[in-house]
Amino acid sequence: MRRILLSAALLIALVGVFVVRLVDIQVVRASELNEQAQDARSQPVTVWGSRGDIVDANGKVLADSVMRYDIVLSPKQASKALVERDVPDPENPDKTMEVEVPLAQLAAELGAEVGLTGDQVQGIIASELAADPDSDYAYVAKLVDTETYERVKALDIPWVYADEHPSRRYPNGAVAGNLVGWVDPDGAPVAGIELAEDKCLAGANGEVSYLHSLQDWVKIPGTEIVHEQAHDGGTLKLTIDTDLQWEVQRIAEAQRQAVGASWAMVTVMEVKTGRLLAVADVPTVDPNDPSATDKADRGSRSFTAPFEPGSTFKALTAASVINAGKADPLSQVVAPYRIVFPNGANINDSSGHDDQNLTLTGVLVESSNTGMSQFGELMTDRARYDDMLKFGLGAKTEVDFPAEEPGDLHGDPDDWDNQTKYATMFGQGLTTTAVQIASAYQTIANGGVRMPVSLVDGCVGDDGTATSPASQGEQVISPEAANATSQMLERVYQDAWLSDEWNIPGYRVAAKTGTAQVPDGEGGYLKEYLVSVSGFAPADDPQFVVSVSYMNAVKMNSSAASAPVFQEVMSQVLKKYRTVPSGAPAPELPATW
Amino acid sequence: MATPPRVNRSQEPDRPGISAARIRLGRVFRVESADYFLLLGTTLFLVVFGLVMVLSASVVQSHLEDESFFAQAMRQGLYAVFGIPIMLIASRMPEQFWMRLAWPALLVSCLLQFLVVATGLGITVGGNTNWIQLGPVQFQPSELIKVALVMWLGLIVTKKEALLGDFVHGILPIILVGGGAIGLVLLGGDLGTVMVMGAMLLGALFLIGVRLRLLLPPIFAAIIVFVLVAVSSENRMRRITSFLDANCESGGGGDAVNDCWQILHGSFALANGGIFGVGLGNSTAKWSWLPAADNDFIFAIIGEELGLVGAIVVIAMFVVLAVALGRVLRAARTPFARTVSAAVLVWVIGQACVNIGVVLGVFPVLGVPLPLVSAGGTALLTTLFAIGIVLSVARDPEAASRLAAKAEARAAARKASRASGTRAAR
Repeated sequence: MRRILLSAALLIALVGVFVVRLVDIQVVRASELNEQAQDARSQPVTVWGSRGDIVDANGKVLADSVMRYDIVLSPKQASKALVERDVPDPENPDKTMEVEVPLAQLAAELGAEVGLTGDQVQGIIASELAADPDSDYAYVAKLVDTETYERVKALDIPWVYADEHPSRRYPNGAVAGNLVGWVDPDGAPVAGIELAEDKCLAGANGEVSYLHSLQDWVKIPGTEIVHEQAHDGGTLKLTIDTDLQWEVQRIAEAQRQAVGASWAMVTVMEVKTGRLLAVADVPTVDPNDPSATDKADRGSRSFTAPFEPGSTFKALTAASVINAGKADPLSQVVAPYRIVFPNGANINDSSGHDDQNLTLTGVLVESSNTGMSQFGELMTDRARYDDMLKFGLGAKTEVDFPAEEPGDLHGDPDDWDNQTKYATMFGQGLTTTAVQIASAYQTIANGGVRMPVSLVDGCVGDDGTATSPASQGEQVISPEAANATSQMLERVYQDAWLSDEWNIPGYRVAAKTGTAQVPDGEGGYLKEYLVSVSGFAPADDPQFVVSVSYMNAVKMNSSAASAPVFQEVMSQVLKKYRTVPSGAPAPELPATW
Repeated sequence: MATPPRVNRSQEPDRPGISAARIRLGRVFRVESADYFLLLGTTLFLVVFGLVMVLSASVVQSHLEDESFFAQAMRQGLYAVFGIPIMLIASRMPEQFWMRLAWPALLVSCLLQFLVVATGLGITVGGNTNWIQLGPVQFQPSELIKVALVMWLGLIVTKKEALLGDFVHGILPIILVGGGAIGLVLLGGDLGTVMVMGAMLLGALFLIGVRLRLLLPPIFAAIIVFVLVAVSSENRMRRITSFLDANCESGGGGDAVNDCWQILHGSFALANGGIFGVGLGNSTAKWSWLPAADNDFIFAIIGEELGLVGAIVVIAMFVVLAVALGRVLRAARTPFARTVSAAVLVWVIGQACVNIGVVLGVFPVLGVPLPLVSAGGTALLTTLFAIGIVLSVARDPEAASRLAAKAEARAAARKASRASGTRAAR
């Protein structure tokens, strides 16, 4: 009996020890042990946050992200480790036998999947080993697709593995490639929208760890710990219409080749909203392979290459003068071939002629520099300059495209020399970008209200939050002045020397040509011209601005090179958006007196 | 609590037949003692609980090895399906039957163990040659020796009851025969089982009242053998040194890493469980991290899935089992009953303590399963069989009638007190 009690006491003592030990392990040291266990049984894994898509106004994908794989091998293991495989035993078909696979065969099998010969694969191994005998890392192929990756995996070669490598695709190739830009192989944005809107597009990689089975590495359900939540980038919607962009690029490029121009820019903008529907820069880069395009042609010159606009600028000066109440479309002036102003400025027209009795309308139709100068003179330089700023010149547009240029209004009016004071009236001595000119014409077309230029419609984040740019317009000139300018530009369209070239039946169109000398950068001018047409339609209810510029069209160095492009693009735009044709004909305004 | 309605019903004059039948049935069951049911109930609870835990702990490993999630659990269930009836049948057998069976059982089991260690029939698992393959059945003769030793001890103590005070004629023969049987198991290399059997032999003799003076020489002998055997095997030395190595819990180093691994991942499992556990089936350690998760280290899985609460309940169930066996031991009147219940007490409770102690890092890794709970068919079968033998002595008619008399007296006293109590309340 005593012994039973003694044993019972022993048992109780032992149970006491067990309970203390249990509490020690399960409660007191639990968190410390859990930490150790987590370290021992799991490994942090990167969860890729994929970069957001870039889509056009209709949701068509211009850029998206896919997972690709880099195939890597360990040269050291390849040279040392024997690879054995189970193959059917020829003597007993039910059984398998292990055979050693020679390196040459493995290299050939691997090479076949990634498009190399066996010798090339062995060459990679040999050259890497020559550089570092302990090397465990050599690329066999980069950015292979999932099918290839699966096939390589199926080879089950122990010294071959794959790294995940997110990659970017541009399914529409060069269509809008000038705008979309591209990313480098590591996923960092390099150019275009990719760079400008990186904040929207960039995903954030996360990190999770989960426990896995020791034997077959299966993920154990319910053990995932998120150290850092991965975020996909937002979907960026552009205002661009891919179909229209493609058509505009096609038209622009065809004419560029026909007239032998260095480059061309065509901008299509919606009048009521300031949205850019197409911005073609030819030649155009294919973001899938940027290096195939000349470095200078890889961006969007419409934003980044300011030029002296030339005569298309006369519409702005005329609008300013009318808005200031200094003239109306029928105001009269005598326009000689050459005029010397009291301050010594010497202005001449592009071709010799006798004195002409022109109205302001006539000045635009004839594109008379001397006439325009006499009207521009009615305003102070400062007032004209302020109007230019209000038209959006001399400052970057709201798009804020990478490397976008603000243009140069020859500094401040105080810096203007006597010649420049007059040259700025007809678009010389100052520079603008193609998009700025399109925006200025949009202002005239929109009753004097300038809308912010937009290329991005909005960004929808991975959590569904949407952002879109502000779209508050600004009254630059009075509606009456805008309307008067529009009517004068209609006369230009109907009566100027190119009227047969750019006729669009059924619609009233307002347009102005330009043939600007290209400055040599040292105060003089080259024998090269930038020929352009800017205009809008339908003039009775303006919907679309089209601005066309060709640089140094050697085979046809006048705006006759750009006029057919304007006609073709505008026709396409009017057709595409099923624009209602104009009813009444354009009002008559006399060009002469 | 239930008494007042029963009293009311028996007072109903309309239904005398029903109440009469009830009383008769009650008497049939009352033949068995409370200890009998305590022992039986605890055993059944542990077996069923063990099946659940084996299923939970073995699914992953079963899937990897047998392509079936339930293979191990089904095997274990099959043994339980046979083992429980065997226990119940054994509980009906008289003492004489066991005494007649004792020598043949010991001889046959020793012969089988001899086949294991001396012939090619033995199968080595994890360094221990402990299994034998006979036709489709694979089992451990060492487990059979355990249960045979229980019977044989009962027999020999009954025979030599008068000589137990004499070392040469009483104790020495018991030690020699029992030690011989244990020695056969030792040849197989399973030190854990050998320790349990040695403890069972000496512990039973201790509990039935053999003088300590007589037990000291065999205890010293056992310790010397243990030390010699431990030192002779690099494997065992490593286990012991790794246990003594304080760095073990931080992963250990060198050769110790394997044993440290098991202890370490056992601790990880327990720590993961916390107070309330991660829930049945949610163990992480069972995903191949913890070796012998359904076997020697099932207690760690219990602690992980059911938490501190579940682990303490299991310990408590073994304490209840110990109490039940202790009560049978106390109530036993024949030497056979005393010896058998003492032997099984030391065996089952001792083995449980060693197993739990190993998992908790109190003892070095000895490789013994948790009785009734761990996976292992032969062990479950023989443990149930041994408990069946104890049940058969627990329901010894004399003991039952004695207990019944006691109980009646107690009940009468209670009734009297309650009657007065109720009256007072009214």
